[in-house]
Amino acid sequence: MSEVVKEKITAVDTVTCTIDGQQITVPRGTSVFDAAGQIGIVIPAFCNHAKLKPVGACRMCYVEIEKMPKLQVSCATMATDGMVVSTNSQQVREGRKAVIEFTLINHPLDCPTCDKGGECDLQDLTFDHGYDDSRFGFDKMRFIEEEKRDTFDDLKIGPEIVLNRNRCILCYKCVRANKEAFGEYDIGAFERGDLTEINATPGGEVSNPFSGNLVEICPVGALTNSDWRYKIRVWLTKTVPSICNFSGSGTNITFYKEDHKNFVYRVTSRCNDAIDDGWLSDITRYGYQIVNSESRLKTPLIKKGGKQVKASWDEALAVIKKHMGQIKDQSGGVCIGGLISPSLDNASLYSFSKLFRTVFKSNNIDFRGDYRYLPSVTDSLFTIAASQPFSISDIEKSDVIITFGTDLIREHHNEYLKIRRAVNFYNSTVYSVNPYAVKTADIAKSEMVYSPGTDELVINGICLVAIEKKLVNSSAAAKLKSKISKLSPGVLAKLTGLSKEQFEELAEAISSAKKVTFIVGEIVARSLDRDKICAALSNLNKLFGVQDKGQLAVLSRYANSKGAQKLGLSATPYEIVKDELKKIWGEYPDCQPRNTDAMINLMKKEEIKGFITVGANPMRLYPDRSFASEGLEHVDFLVACDMFETETTELADVVLPLCSWAEYDGDYINLEGKVQTGKQAIKPKYESKAAFEIMELIARQLGAKLFENEQVKNEEIEKLLKLDSVLPWPDDFLKIEYEKKSSQDGYPVPLFICDDPHHSGHLTEKSPSLLNFSDSAYVELSKGLAAKIGVADGDPLRVESPVGKIVVPAKISPVLNSDVAIIPRNFSSTQTTSLLMRKKRVDSVKLTRVEE
Amino acid sequence: MKEILTALGRIFIRMPIGMLVVLKHLFKKPVTLDYPRKKKPMAPRFMGRQYLERYDDGSERCVSCGLCAAACPADCIYMEPAENEKGERYAKVFEINLLRCIFCGFCEEACPEEAIFMGHHYEFSADNRDSFIWTKEDMLVKHPRKDNPFKTLFRRVRKVYGVGEKKG
Repeated sequence: MSEVVKEKITAVDTVTCTIDGQQITVPRGTSVFDAAGQIGIVIPAFCNHAKLKPVGACRMCYVEIEKMPKLQVSCATMATDGMVVSTNSQQVREGRKAVIEFTLINHPLDCPTCDKGGECDLQDLTFDHGYDDSRFGFDKMRFIEEEKRDTFDDLKIGPEIVLNRNRCILCYKCVRANKEAFGEYDIGAFERGDLTEINATPGGEVSNPFSGNLVEICPVGALTNSDWRYKIRVWLTKTVPSICNFSGSGTNITFYKEDHKNFVYRVTSRCNDAIDDGWLSDITRYGYQIVNSESRLKTPLIKKGGKQVKASWDEALAVIKKHMGQIKDQSGGVCIGGLISPSLDNASLYSFSKLFRTVFKSNNIDFRGDYRYLPSVTDSLFTIAASQPFSISDIEKSDVIITFGTDLIREHHNEYLKIRRAVNFYNSTVYSVNPYAVKTADIAKSEMVYSPGTDELVINGICLVAIEKKLVNSSAAAKLKSKISKLSPGVLAKLTGLSKEQFEELAEAISSAKKVTFIVGEIVARSLDRDKICAALSNLNKLFGVQDKGQLAVLSRYANSKGAQKLGLSATPYEIVKDELKKIWGEYPDCQPRNTDAMINLMKKEEIKGFITVGANPMRLYPDRSFASEGLEHVDFLVACDMFETETTELADVVLPLCSWAEYDGDYINLEGKVQTGKQAIKPKYESKAAFEIMELIARQLGAKLFENEQVKNEEIEKLLKLDSVLPWPDDFLKIEYEKKSSQDGYPVPLFICDDPHHSGHLTEKSPSLLNFSDSAYVELSKGLAAKIGVADGDPLRVESPVGKIVVPAKISPVLNSDVAIIPRNFSSTQTTSLLMRKKRVDSVKLTRVEE
Repeated sequence: MKEILTALGRIFIRMPIGMLVVLKHLFKKPVTLDYPRKKKPMAPRFMGRQYLERYDDGSERCVSCGLCAAACPADCIYMEPAENEKGERYAKVFEINLLRCIFCGFCEEACPEEAIFMGHHYEFSADNRDSFIWTKEDMLVKHPRKDNPFKTLFRRVRKVYGVGEKKG
């Protein structure tokens, strides 16, 4: 059966069958269940899930098919030509009744205490199809833990997951989803017969980054989560559609809120096949808790005598007016700079840009506070690569998927799952090409780990091997050959650590593929040589014609990075955006554009005197902490808007409380360039205000006005979004010189600073549930490296770089196999970025054991 | 003359007759009650203010499932569930607004845990609105009631079908 499902969607073969008297034509391989769904006939089921392979475990989806002697399960029966199906005959109804009765033999009637009550499939279907009584009078089977015999049936099997095995109806949806969709094996079915139980693997716990989904798909209350546990009944809440604020793909979510309390109770998925398949990462699912957090900034704060004291909005704005007005009048607007978070909505971003460019007449703005040495020209190759079109749903249509320089499980959870789906359901081939071994590799046909810092050589190597083996158009090959350094494949292999066969495999895969998806991620984006790597990518694209038969793009990391780029939030916006802005505003500052690096540099020189950060935390996230802190400490007047007190707000002269994304309507553009709206769930908590309101207030204090009304603002944004934001690659092949990099003596281990799989950015550490998964920084290393240093899992380890030193516990990774160190940047307790140097190509550290 | 006779008739004939009625009622059982000191026993099914029952071991029966609040036509029940130290579900807050309550008894009928009952208490006059909001502390009985007449009504009857009886 599963073989049939595995067939490509492209199969044109169709069958026509009759369901309940209606004729329908569906592709061959469609189940009767799905065919019925297409004409609006809902067949009840527990174990069937649209995104998983059928198993036919629950038998609830019985249908009667002519010429078949018994009832058939529709989820696992494929529609055939001339099939006549009846989904609601007397026999079917009797069959379903019996199934419900059997299911309820051992199901406890503890709906009053069960969290699933009110949204439980078993409850609903019993109501619709079942008897109001049972013929099985004997005692129900009950799982009891020996040590907790008389109190409690619930078991905690993960940081957030509570299991009640008595309620389980053994549909295996959780086990299947974990295996098929997430590639995790931490939950399973044990024993057999009526003793069968779902449980975490012995000695383990269910703590994968997608574990929350298991709770959502459980048709009964067997799996519940601690987050929603005994909080509120589901029928008392209202749902609001919104967008995830922590990832670049903009997964669709639903907020469950209660108006009287102004409280968001939980987040569930809102399946949008074009984007997310209905799976959410735990960051999305539990990250909403920051909205309700008690530790949020409640009122504006003003620095008085070196201490921040509470103040009203009027007082805070008056201070801003005084100081910003002074700087503007005395030194000019060019002495004011700003940094905004790319997770904010379009209106906020645009207001920020307009405030700086029309009121301060300054070009000192940026939205990328966590990259160093960003290009300062409009059409750098990195900007071009990042602007390329990308479609998430095309991932599963590709037969070859290459992930280059991206640790998907830490950056793009949604794409990670899409790739798994492409492999499991559509037989795609994945090649994982990364400077360290990543989790994606378990589905990859082959994993290639190259030496850190040789990214562009790897791409060049692929091109060279392709030319050598005559896999590509010879005229293009000849052109390219003259441009790239003539390193023999043997030398390349030595430098990159990849063998010649691996290069050949990649080159053959790309050239023979019908449709390619080439995903480039954060490891490239964070690299100082990002322009060079993107030049190599440009060559590769041209040589193989990747974009003619697929897609190649640097994926944007944050919820609205694409929107920020389209609205011209970088210091050097696209030329067309600049022209449009000139047209809309009638003016555009002609002063020198300055991005994050340049601004911090000027702060140090005291040329930038006023600085505004909105939702950004450069102190934590900028990859050189001492550089950022030196800069921010030199600023005369720092205004920080954020939801929480952060390292940046500590330095600020005025702190303004910012709304979370659940507190206002906002549009976000995901990495595909798709505009999605996140609706307002609750009223702004405490005295917080949305960023666009704050910008308007600041502008009015300075005697200007950003927008007459909301409509004008929306129209202006609309005009900008209409522009085509895809920049063309350069026409010709680009020259790439190989330069030898000197390695830092004494610091042998390459360091990667990235997000924890359960955290994103600087805000998620305020979510208690996510802290249950991982609550402090660690240094992840391979077994071999740990043995070399002589540390075990959890032992403190001193991590030293030429500029900084931290002590964090070691964590032995099951995946890593080379000498690298990975440290998450999400925890304020550890100053991770203090290890980084702004000007260094490859960060490297020295790891030593802390002697007791 | 006629008027004088009528007046005399009233005094000597009608009045003694009237007084006789009064005299008769002196020996009769009074219809009214000496109310605050004496109270009328209520009918067993009288629906007064609700009370919350306990299990025989003294633990609260209510698990805050919310069905009474869902069944309530006047929307007068408010509750907040929480987890106790054993990990069990209980009602952290349970409030009934008696100004809204229409004493229909739907809450009692909806309760799957046999926790809430319509009691016999009917004296809820007060001089401020807040006193009409009865909390869990007010409603929870001190000890489980052994002689609860309503308990019999809630005994579950499980039908046992013979083989083949349900066929057809």
